[in-house]
Amino acid sequence: MKNLLRKRLLKLFISVLFVFPLSIYAQKIDILLKGGHVIDPKNKIDGVMDVAIANGKIQQVAASIPEANATKVIDVKGLYVTPGLIDMHSHAFHGTDVDSYLANGLTGLPPDGFTFRSGITTIVDAGSSGWRNFRQFKKQTIDKSQTRVLALLNIVGTGMYSRYEEQDTMDMNPEMAANMIKKLYPELIVGIKAAHYWGGFTQVDRAVTAGKLANVPVMVDFGEHDPPNSIKDLFFIHLRPGDIFTHTYSYGPKNRETVVDENGKVKPFVLEAQKRGIIFDVGHGGGAFSWRQAIPAMQQGFLPNVISTDLHTQSMNGGMKDLANVISKFLAMGMSLQDAIARSTWNPANVINRKELGNLSPGTEADVAVFNLRKGDFGFIDIRNVQFKGKQKLEAELTIRAGKVVWDLNGLAAKPYDPKGEN
Amino acid sequence: MKKILVVLFSVVFLNTSFAQQFDIVLKNGHVIDPKNNVDAVADVAVKDGKIARVSKGIDATSAKKVIDATGLYVTPGFIDIHTHVFVGSTPETFANGSLSVSPDDFTLRNGVTTVVDAGTSGWRNFPLFKDQVIDKSKTRILAFLNIAGAGMRGSPLEQDMNDMDAYMTSLTAKKYPDVVVGVKIGHFEGSDWAPFDRALEAARLSGKPLFVECHLPQFSLEDQLKKMRTGDIITHSFEKVDERMPVVDEQGNLRPFVMEAKKRGVLFDLGHGGAGFWYSVAMPAMKQGLPPNTFGTDLHRFSMNAGMKDMLNVMSKYMAMGMKLKDVIQTATWNAARAIKHEDLGNLTEGAVADIAVIRIRDGKFGFVDAGGNSIEGKQKLEAELTLRAGNIVWDLNGISAKKFN
Repeated sequence: MKNLLRKRLLKLFISVLFVFPLSIYAQKIDILLKGGHVIDPKNKIDGVMDVAIANGKIQQVAASIPEANATKVIDVKGLYVTPGLIDMHSHAFHGTDVDSYLANGLTGLPPDGFTFRSGITTIVDAGSSGWRNFRQFKKQTIDKSQTRVLALLNIVGTGMYSRYEEQDTMDMNPEMAANMIKKLYPELIVGIKAAHYWGGFTQVDRAVTAGKLANVPVMVDFGEHDPPNSIKDLFFIHLRPGDIFTHTYSYGPKNRETVVDENGKVKPFVLEAQKRGIIFDVGHGGGAFSWRQAIPAMQQGFLPNVISTDLHTQSMNGGMKDLANVISKFLAMGMSLQDAIARSTWNPANVINRKELGNLSPGTEADVAVFNLRKGDFGFIDIRNVQFKGKQKLEAELTIRAGKVVWDLNGLAAKPYDPKGEN
Repeated sequence: MKKILVVLFSVVFLNTSFAQQFDIVLKNGHVIDPKNNVDAVADVAVKDGKIARVSKGIDATSAKKVIDATGLYVTPGFIDIHTHVFVGSTPETFANGSLSVSPDDFTLRNGVTTVVDAGTSGWRNFPLFKDQVIDKSKTRILAFLNIAGAGMRGSPLEQDMNDMDAYMTSLTAKKYPDVVVGVKIGHFEGSDWAPFDRALEAARLSGKPLFVECHLPQFSLEDQLKKMRTGDIITHSFEKVDERMPVVDEQGNLRPFVMEAKKRGVLFDLGHGGAGFWYSVAMPAMKQGLPPNTFGTDLHRFSMNAGMKDMLNVMSKYMAMGMKLKDVIQTATWNAARAIKHEDLGNLTEGAVADIAVIRIRDGKFGFVDAGGNSIEGKQKLEAELTLRAGNIVWDLNGISAKKFN
């Protein structure tokens, strides 16, 4: 008995001897991204650094982290390392209801096919579901995706079922929407969406009421009114600072007031509204991005707070394509890469009040994107099929979600094939 | 009389000048059309959704749209004969489920204009698949019918031998002769050969090929190949998994009965997928005369973000392994069309449907990964610049068909 105890004590002593010092002096690293140019806008990092990942979290971002303690070292020299991108405007409630378009219908997209290959680790579904069908969306898509899927809840109970249901003011219930957020899913629902309403300000006002009740922002897609409703009134009377205006660069003058006037001047109140705290989101989509709006806006210093896609089947194969392409459009218009990354990582994290996302602070979940900035002659088209040229294009080399490699374009994380080895 | 002649003359004249007005002319691309043995710089004219002409120096002055394809390759739209696109919301399931993917998300941006669904549906749920996906997609979707009546519903449902009906399968194949291209057997874990034999029987009754997929652990590779007829297709040809013997032995030598099957006209599809492609099998096989006959990607939820990625990545991988571009294009077009007995597809013959891929070869340093996480380097990678489906532009990467911003 005594012997056994002594043996056990000895074992314990030995394990303490071996394990303890390791954890103190040489923190184990699962993945070490070596030599990349890190852009982490939150932490104002913009330079060559290493990124160490352990236990699914960012362990350290620093120059010259020793390789000795790393299980896997990935050479990312010449590449850019950023927080995993956040696509704040997407449509992921794919389903099989052929009468519906974005709520459990065929126009939404299962998220994982478009996210990782574009450096995205988090998407925000922009109101495809409302309080009546959010649970189904959660079960069907959110819980089944590798991508982190957050949501703006449509103020319409049935979400984006069809343009007709979306007009039903009887189904725009601020209390029910707010309950869904506060009582049930505060972790998943980050705001309210108002869209596709043909009337006046009723829908926006209900959405803002819900937003106040749940203390979350409202995103507004403000078009399809003939004649258009005033966006000045929208910005200064109806929305609060922190609320989001999407489809910023759409040119549909007949039913949607534009931010740039017919003479190519940014309307002065638009700049004022941005100063007031209204958030301007790109929401490119299949019909909401025109060079004739975006280029003068950029030239006159009116920049989008957030760069996002409005991904769905009608935008994916057109001018939009994917988030890396949309960001590259802004590079073509003269935005710096650092600025563009801020507007697709830390900015949206702030807008949706998820400050644990969109940054590489130690301790945060390791959602990381590694990009190759291609040089060459590229073209980018808007929704009117007009081409604008650029010299750079972003390409997602490697995407890491919660510390796991989920996309590896060129096998940076793979072992070289050895014909004589065990393969 | 004179008047009539004038009218006749002008009708004829107008008709011919009208015929010259092409919808789209792709100018100065390097055309590779393996069926017609074209491998040279030429123009391609499209009209009314069809190939109107392929030749040098087509007069494009009256064309509605002229696209400069200088420096690019113009080929028939690619055909991916192994995909799983019966997407739906049933969790953890291929048939009407979340493990399949939406075709248009992956095809047009890769120059693919036709995919064949590899038996995700069987005769019972093929009509649902048709309503829900096939009829709603821009991509042309063809299908192998699973011998299991309800397709790939997962285990244990796919093991139900009572739901493997050769006659019903053949009736569905005959009801949709333009869409159903054959019968599939796969995912049967028992040792009874009845499912395989019924699948063969269904294929016979339909007059179509049999497509042999994976996860048939009790059937030896040799026996499977022996049962297969000329024109039948085995997929996951270069896999290295416990449940099926690889086509090469431990020394990397191609097994004699595999070569025999090939000589007999059994077709070997790639079927890359998540676990179906290994360099240690594919490379020696290619060296010894067994390249894949077709580049089925086995696109689904688990392969899309792994070593497979997409059709162009798979094609580029074979270029990195030493296959010539012309052969890569042939494997992705005319070979595939013949394998599924759709000789109307995969070529640029005048009058054929205008499914066209315009491809750029990127030069640089690229890497390609197999199912075992092994990587090889390549110096070239294919990128789809422009895709036409039935004469419509459905993908334009850099706006080569767009108006210039002023």
